Amino acid sequence: MIRSMLNAARSGAAEIWAHKTRSILSFLAIAVGSVVFIDAFSAIFHTYERLERQREFSGLARMHIMQNQAASYSSADEYVEPPTFGYEQLKKLREQAPEFHMISGESRSWRNIMEYDGERVVSSVNGITPEWMKRDFGYTLKGRFFTWHDIDEKLRVCVVVRRAPPPPGSKTTRKAYNYTAAYDNLVTHNDLLGKTVKIDGITFTVIGVAEEFPFSKRMESFSGYREQAKLLVPITTAANYGLVRGGGQMEVSIDAGPEAGFDDALRKVNNFLKITFGDGDFFLVENQLEQIRKNMAARLKDAFVTISLGMLAFIAGGIGIMNVTLATVFARTKEIGIRRAVGASRSDIMLQFMVEAVLLGLIGGVLGSALGWLWGVPLKVILNMGASPIKPWMPLISILIAAVTAFAFAIYPAWVAAGLKPADALRAE
Amino acid sequence: MTIHCSDLAKVYEGGKSGWPALRGLSFGIKAGEFVSVTGPSGCGKSTLLNIIGLLDEPSGGAYRLNGRDVFTLSDEERSRTRRDEIGFVFQSFHLLNRLSALENVCLPLRYAGAGGDEMRSRAAALLARVGLHGKEKKTPLELSGGERQRVAIARALANSPRIILADEPTGNLDSASSREIMDSLFALNAEGITIVMVTHDKELAARTGRNIRMRDGRIES
Repeated sequence: MIRSMLNAARSGAAEIWAHKTRSILSFLAIAVGSVVFIDAFSAIFHTYERLERQREFSGLARMHIMQNQAASYSSADEYVEPPTFGYEQLKKLREQAPEFHMISGESRSWRNIMEYDGERVVSSVNGITPEWMKRDFGYTLKGRFFTWHDIDEKLRVCVVVRRAPPPPGSKTTRKAYNYTAAYDNLVTHNDLLGKTVKIDGITFTVIGVAEEFPFSKRMESFSGYREQAKLLVPITTAANYGLVRGGGQMEVSIDAGPEAGFDDALRKVNNFLKITFGDGDFFLVENQLEQIRKNMAARLKDAFVTISLGMLAFIAGGIGIMNVTLATVFARTKEIGIRRAVGASRSDIMLQFMVEAVLLGLIGGVLGSALGWLWGVPLKVILNMGASPIKPWMPLISILIAAVTAFAFAIYPAWVAAGLKPADALRAE
Repeated sequence: MTIHCSDLAKVYEGGKSGWPALRGLSFGIKAGEFVSVTGPSGCGKSTLLNIIGLLDEPSGGAYRLNGRDVFTLSDEERSRTRRDEIGFVFQSFHLLNRLSALENVCLPLRYAGAGGDEMRSRAAALLARVGLHGKEKKTPLELSGGERQRVAIARALANSPRIILADEPTGNLDSASSREIMDSLFALNAEGITIVMVTHDKELAARTGRNIRMRDGRIES
């Protein structure tokens, strides 16, 4: 059997070589299917990989408390000054939900002046708590991070973020980075650890330098949000010295811990807001788990649409192979007769055409995989689309599907070939 | 009796009741005989040869080959019988033009499960036997008609068959080549191989041990 298959493979390869144009046309369609499949595989894999990384890096059971900017009032008389979610409220929430993995309050300002050694640069300030470090901390820290003592005592200490250079070839990102080039220059070229800097004219001691992970190791969140922090200060200090607007108003990121208890955690937070601030709808709790799930479902849907297209391309390729194999059977009817006359059985003939078709499928699959890799890695990088995470099993699966498709679509023509009567086949011209 | 046919009939499909090619033939051929089959075109000679060679199936009657009722054989068994017990030589050679002479001779050996150097050396020896030493790598298109027919004879001998069926083996050859081919066939017959040859050539038929004359699907004498 193995020898027959080897013979059939040798003869099939010779046939494919003898009819190059016909062969190329038939395996091109399969190759297109392969390319689309690999792209879809890598898209699906990428989605799951990101989800896994998100789970490891920042947890999925996330929610975000923020001011309800959409709150509308029908007249000016109805307007109520929104309450402040400040440090006191944060402490209360932490007391009421000790089981939460993280409750991180944060206030921001986008334009602050940082001064060091006579050099003044534009920066931003994030007022934070030690909890900030618990999730999404994509930095290597030199020195130390904030303690609750820093927060409670409103100490004038800060952590400077040294940002990673932008990824190569990304014009947009480079532009965005150039905007804050002065800050980046200052913190990159000066070892600020232990030094004093001025933020909006107030002296701070740099207790830590947080060096951002390079882009290749960076967490890419499903919401597309990327942390843009530069200067980190205790949240209480930021409010106390007026470094951030809103008088201590903060947004709160919560990691409820295990996903299973997320719904209960969400209810607990909503209850807390209702009890603390009344029915005013002043704050929104953004369900990030839901958002992640929706985002992921959308990505998977896209990937499955691509896979369907890949399937269609494979089917088209399969029909092409069936067509070519049928044409081959009719063109080689006499040869079939000769082979039958010298002792080939129906199964020998069937095997010969099946092997030929599967070889075509395999060549198409290999070609498609090579093209898929070319598209997914170097071309996408050149086009600034980000390389697809192509794993070795993806081309292998794609080649396997190509071979199986070719096999399935060759059954009928091979069966027709095997069914020819030797005497009739020999008479064919 | 190597070949034994009784009341053999073949009706081709077409028209209301089909077209009868063989109308009840009964005859026997002993091992080692050289039998020629003659008759005008369309009398059923080739059809008979195809049925004897298991390339076609009769519509009626009985056919025993080496004592076995061929009607009861499966496709696999019929193929094996063709491969191991029968060699074919056709008027138009029926060689595969994209294969070399050696590869053409290898074909029946491959189907018999042979392979490698053993198969190639056997094929080369067969080509040498029919006088084609040194032309193993030539394709049929690079050979003369006579040489092609000799490749076909070498191929027919590949699995050492006991019967050779030749359908107008000299029909496409000049007289010198025809003589060479006939000499080869007579030599094979002298070695004990049964030969059944369809021919139009009465002179050739006269040289064979027995002649079956056909007309309108029947044996005339």
